[in-house]
Amino acid sequence: MNKYTLSKRQVVNELSTFYSFLAGFLIALIIGSVILLIQDKSPIDTFSLMFKLSIGSVNSLSSSLNKATPLILAGLGIAIINTVKLWNIGAEGQIFMGAIGVNLIYINFQLTSSTSFIFLLLVSAFVGGAVCILIPAVAKVLFGVNEIITTLLTNYIVIGLTIYLVNGPWKDPGSLNFPAAAYVGKEVYLPTIFGKLSYGFLICILFTAFAHYLKNSSVFGYEMRIAGGSEMTAIYAGINAKQKAFFAMLIGGGFAGLAGGIELLSQTHRVSTGISQGFGYTAIIVAAITGMRPIGIFLVGSLFGALSIGGSVIQTIGVSTYIADIIQVSTLFGALVIQFFFNYQLKRADDG
Amino acid sequence: MVDIQFLGLLNATLQAATLLFIASLGELITEKSGILNLGVEGMISIGAVAGFMTAVNTNNIFLAIVVGILSSSIFASIHAIVTVILKQDQTVSGLILTILGLAVSSLLGKNYVDRKLETKLESIFSIENPSNVLEVFLNQNIIFYLAIIFTITISYILKNTMFGTRFQAVGEDLKAADSMGLNVTKTQFIATCIGGAFAGLSGVYLTLSYVPYWTDNMTAGRGWIALALVIFGGWKPYRTALGALLFGFLEALVPRLQTYGFELNPYIVKIAPYVITILVLVLLTIYKGGKTGAPKNIGISFFRENR
Repeated sequence: MNKYTLSKRQVVNELSTFYSFLAGFLIALIIGSVILLIQDKSPIDTFSLMFKLSIGSVNSLSSSLNKATPLILAGLGIAIINTVKLWNIGAEGQIFMGAIGVNLIYINFQLTSSTSFIFLLLVSAFVGGAVCILIPAVAKVLFGVNEIITTLLTNYIVIGLTIYLVNGPWKDPGSLNFPAAAYVGKEVYLPTIFGKLSYGFLICILFTAFAHYLKNSSVFGYEMRIAGGSEMTAIYAGINAKQKAFFAMLIGGGFAGLAGGIELLSQTHRVSTGISQGFGYTAIIVAAITGMRPIGIFLVGSLFGALSIGGSVIQTIGVSTYIADIIQVSTLFGALVIQFFFNYQLKRADDG
Repeated sequence: MVDIQFLGLLNATLQAATLLFIASLGELITEKSGILNLGVEGMISIGAVAGFMTAVNTNNIFLAIVVGILSSSIFASIHAIVTVILKQDQTVSGLILTILGLAVSSLLGKNYVDRKLETKLESIFSIENPSNVLEVFLNQNIIFYLAIIFTITISYILKNTMFGTRFQAVGEDLKAADSMGLNVTKTQFIATCIGGAFAGLSGVYLTLSYVPYWTDNMTAGRGWIALALVIFGGWKPYRTALGALLFGFLEALVPRLQTYGFELNPYIVKIAPYVITILVLVLLTIYKGGKTGAPKNIGISFFRENR
């Protein structure tokens, strides 16, 4: 039974995360195929249709990238918070709070220049996301309350708040079947670059670069890594670990809030429960699969955006949209399994 | 004659508490072995849909319970394989288990939304209109009594038996437990599956008795509240039960406040349990000064270095 022993590899391949992802994606496609076969659907037809409808034309490609925008931004936020070894499960709530922040400012202020008004609204989205994570952040740094549970619970609170707002104070009497707030004016819509591709994606690229710089090259990123490492090292280095954790959480929350603001200004144009379709949760998969690397999050987020678009259009041929969810989750599980073989090796006991 | 409103409140409290408690008891066992499983929400969901589907198709409640428990347990073994055997991050794996569980249960339950149960899980003594406190207690179904039995036996096993001490040693100090000759991998694997089984039972209680129907995302964050309860209970079965009763009481009370003459916005009422959970967690952590009583090795993968 103990013929084989397990040992940690001394050197782990630098691209192991990437290879694991590729292998995981392959495994996920196989799992997806099996589920499709069980339902008497042809996997090749389904996947090629998904491919065609998600990146086959300028319009579908731009829809995919629009869909990727909130995933990437929320994923970046999660990655920034993870630099101090904390988890943000509350991106879903922060996305909603970003949208609420936008609408709050929109109905209370009016700027004549629409460019600066859009800028103000995006800032308020960022602030909204940061406000959303404020209580978990304070509870974590001051009292040491587990941030996983508190950030998760804020999702339910903020979505509850959204339902309250769109059924109560912000209710649009014109929207009969679906409770929602009134639409924002056309002057604050985010313009498009080409096709349907919104400027939100450009903001997303900028923030990817910013997150990459923040995590890997800035002094703050360095301090965050130390703060997230050993407590003693942080003390010796004179770094206030709690302060770094606090600001990391606020910035990360702000990223997700910005995602909600962009979603409102470029896609839904109004506050409703449809602001996010689980983007905050998918973002966790995106961030985890890439080992919290901003560039990776950008790439995998784009792929998953395309998957979601592909998943939503294949409904027309009677395939459940959950197939996209299951492919995304299986990719991560597959990647975790493969990652194991990069980190450990099995040896026959007798040659050790 | 006791106030009928009070009896209704008591009954709703016991039911809400049972649902939360069973799941948190399972998580408590898993965490005692040093494995953190954040997939409770997903596991409850799997148990709920599997039990409901079996009950609709076979009308056999007993079989439905067994299927619900087994499917959640098998589902939890994914977490066990990824974290115990492959030693990957427990937080990531658990979170993904929740997402996967919700997706898979929605996929499975697609054709079961709005389906009616022919037979639901009835109380053992089936008293028509309970008129006193004792009758309310007797009017619960079998899972409620199982919960009581589990609390007593699990607490006894953990505290008073050699098996319980060894089991907890795994969660407290993996290396020491390993050098004592305990099989860490096997213990953690089984503990994770047992946690899944309990979550499955909780799910079955949800769809066969508590609400009796199936809709997407009907677990509504109860798995996360169950996780918070384990912290609240300081990893002790009786205290966790007490916490479950408190939360069950709040869940039962808030929608009833109106009948007691409080004017409340129904949308605000819905978010109250989550706000209260956060508040309680914060107050409790302040009160205990950060010492929560968590197993020391929780979240750390076991790896025996080569010698």
